[in-house]
Amino acid sequence: MYAYNQFDQTLVDQRVEQYRDQTRRYLAGEIPEDEFRILRLMNGLYIQRLAPMLRVAIPYGLMKSEQLRTLAQISRTYDKGYGHFTTRQNIQFNWPTLESVPDILADLAKVQMHAIQTSGACIRNTTTDPFAGVSADEIEDTRPWCELIRQWSTLHPEFAYLPRKFKIAVSGSSNDRAASQVHDIGLHLYHNETGEIGFEVLVGGGLGRTPVIGKTVRKFLEPQELLSYLEAVLRVYNLNGRRDNKYKARIKILVNAIGIDAFTEMVEAEWQLLKDTELRLPESEIERVKGFFTGPDYLSAVHAGSDLQGVFVEHPQFATWYRQNTRDHKQAGYRIVIVALKNQLQAPGDVSHQQMDGIAALADEFSFAELRSTHDQNLVLADVAQRDLLALWLKLQDLDMARANVGTLTDMINCPGLDFCSLANAETLVLSRQINETFDDMDYQYELGEIQLKISGCINACGHHHVGHIGILGVEKGGKQVYQFTLGGSASNDASLGKTLGRSIEQDQVVVVIGQILDVYVQLRQIDETFLQLVRRLGIVPFKERVYGTHQRSAA
Amino acid sequence: MALIKDQQLSVNHAATPEIRFSDWLNHEQAAGDTVLTNGEDDLPSLLASANKLSMIAIEFETFADGRGFSMARMLRRDGYLGEIRAVGDVAMDRIDFMHRVGFNAFELRDDQHAAQALTKLGEVSVHFQPSADGKGPAYMA
Ligand code: HEM
Ligand code: SF4
Repeated sequence: MYAYNQFDQTLVDQRVEQYRDQTRRYLAGEIPEDEFRILRLMNGLYIQRLAPMLRVAIPYGLMKSEQLRTLAQISRTYDKGYGHFTTRQNIQFNWPTLESVPDILADLAKVQMHAIQTSGACIRNTTTDPFAGVSADEIEDTRPWCELIRQWSTLHPEFAYLPRKFKIAVSGSSNDRAASQVHDIGLHLYHNETGEIGFEVLVGGGLGRTPVIGKTVRKFLEPQELLSYLEAVLRVYNLNGRRDNKYKARIKILVNAIGIDAFTEMVEAEWQLLKDTELRLPESEIERVKGFFTGPDYLSAVHAGSDLQGVFVEHPQFATWYRQNTRDHKQAGYRIVIVALKNQLQAPGDVSHQQMDGIAALADEFSFAELRSTHDQNLVLADVAQRDLLALWLKLQDLDMARANVGTLTDMINCPGLDFCSLANAETLVLSRQINETFDDMDYQYELGEIQLKISGCINACGHHHVGHIGILGVEKGGKQVYQFTLGGSASNDASLGKTLGRSIEQDQVVVVIGQILDVYVQLRQIDETFLQLVRRLGIVPFKERVYGTHQRSAA
Repeated sequence: MALIKDQQLSVNHAATPEIRFSDWLNHEQAAGDTVLTNGEDDLPSLLASANKLSMIAIEFETFADGRGFSMARMLRRDGYLGEIRAVGDVAMDRIDFMHRVGFNAFELRDDQHAAQALTKLGEVSVHFQPSADGKGPAYMA
């Protein structure tokens, strides 16, 4: 993976000192509250219900084991011994003190990490496919391009005070695992008819209050002009995005207001002035960055591979885990392993410091000392030799991280909700607990097949509920916490927004309703039909009838 | 109000113009005029008239309004050589970025300590992207 040079290190070190001085001046009363708020947000520091919350950037989800150990150490020293992985591949700490943040940032800088632009109205961490560079269905590795975007966007002087936050996601395979269609900019790497590699550029996707699927502004962009094109989009947005109402300030609102054609025209006009300038990436720079992502020294298939059939018979649970939690690797003899952060006891995405240290050690032993975070709040060991899988599985069990539920109902996305978040309308963690208690029969979950359940505690949609196959949104009605269901959303290639089921559901009825929804699916499905396919075929009506026909206790 | 200009504390300088660009457009014009503008003005006409102006003061009504950054950047791209002065809600924590995109003068908010503000220029000394200051990533050097 990418390693800092002196240049990168200087930038991050100086940024830490800059923020240290800002914190000092704020505590001395020299920076007004509302101004420091913006400054700290640009460094990932929120003030939440119970304490500040620090979000640390994991650029496009890639980490070295040494970095994860530092995160574990930070959670021990400055926090309560755990962290929370987010849907944008970052990690959050819920309990640091404001005064300690400069020291935390200094510790992070020692392992080439930071919290720059993890919040605020600026360009955020670029996200991508957690299987980039290793998956069998990949067209082109996205990581060098993400790194180039990371560098260009970091402390970009012109785009630090945008109308609102700005998120970029890059996908480079035939299966979009980066939710690229619900980002402010989605980039798709692909080969055009003449076999050249380039980007399709989507703009104006996003969730939150006004969920929108991104629209194409450019069908094919020569990769050397990636940064000039991004700069053109950002400049048009910076100058024209609404600033009078923060709920209407995202780029999606601008695109919808003036129309994609007018927007495209503005971007293209600006881009004419930017392409072929110093923003054009020289081939040598592209090659330099690509050089960091050449892949580890894989063993030959004979050495790495192993016939697992006998092991499967001996350890049926291992066979199940292999089926659910590992994926095809482009290198013969290797598997991609997903480490689910979805056991019965911890909140989705939460990891304890012991688990962080444990996973770091497993990455050292089995996966070339690297690991990744995913947008569905799991971790990935990307390069595991087949012959090591059993040993890895046994050790994951010791960490309580071997639950074979990837892609199932209990592999849910869950925002922190009212337990931690000051914007929340309702609790969400209580739902994941109830769901885990109610649906504890794994065979039933396997039988249901792939179901993406996504839960947000308010309309800001941090839990991506609009694009869940089943989405749950917490709302407050008359002092009560109730929940709205949507069905049929997706963040993949066939991205779509879920349709509302009907009236809100009371908290103690949420698992009942999930059960009813699943019953309808099981009763009506055709052979090999997934839940999502069925919802698309039959629509919402059969679910509505089942839930509201028999279920009288839904809230008004 | 303290003014930093060309990386020094300035004592002797032109006053910040009071005439707004939109009014100036309908006025009698002379070479060397100075105007006050902000993100609400029509940017293409500002760019078209810039060569008649010796100073363009870009106003930040609130510090969170980042449009002025793009305005300065585009003026410099078009080759504008006159003064671009940041006025309004201007504090030391933003002047480094402002300087990078092409501002060369900063009229600081009243509560700002000017000598301390000067130390903020170049506080982060390396840059990942080209901008109006001619500096950029290592591969461009
Ligand atoms: C606890 C503190 C948090 C606060 C105060 C917060 C705040 C917000 C707000 C206000 C938005 C809406 C922005 C908009 O629509 O313009 C948002 C969106 C989002 N947040 Fe959070 N969030 C928090 C935690 C999280 C966590 C834990 C995750 C991941 C699990 C997350 C991931 C996201 C994502 C993916 C979006 C959707 C982006 C979009 O609208 O396109 N956030 N957040
Ligand atoms: S969706 Fe709402 S409740 Fe959940 S983390 Fe985001 S802002 Fe907080």
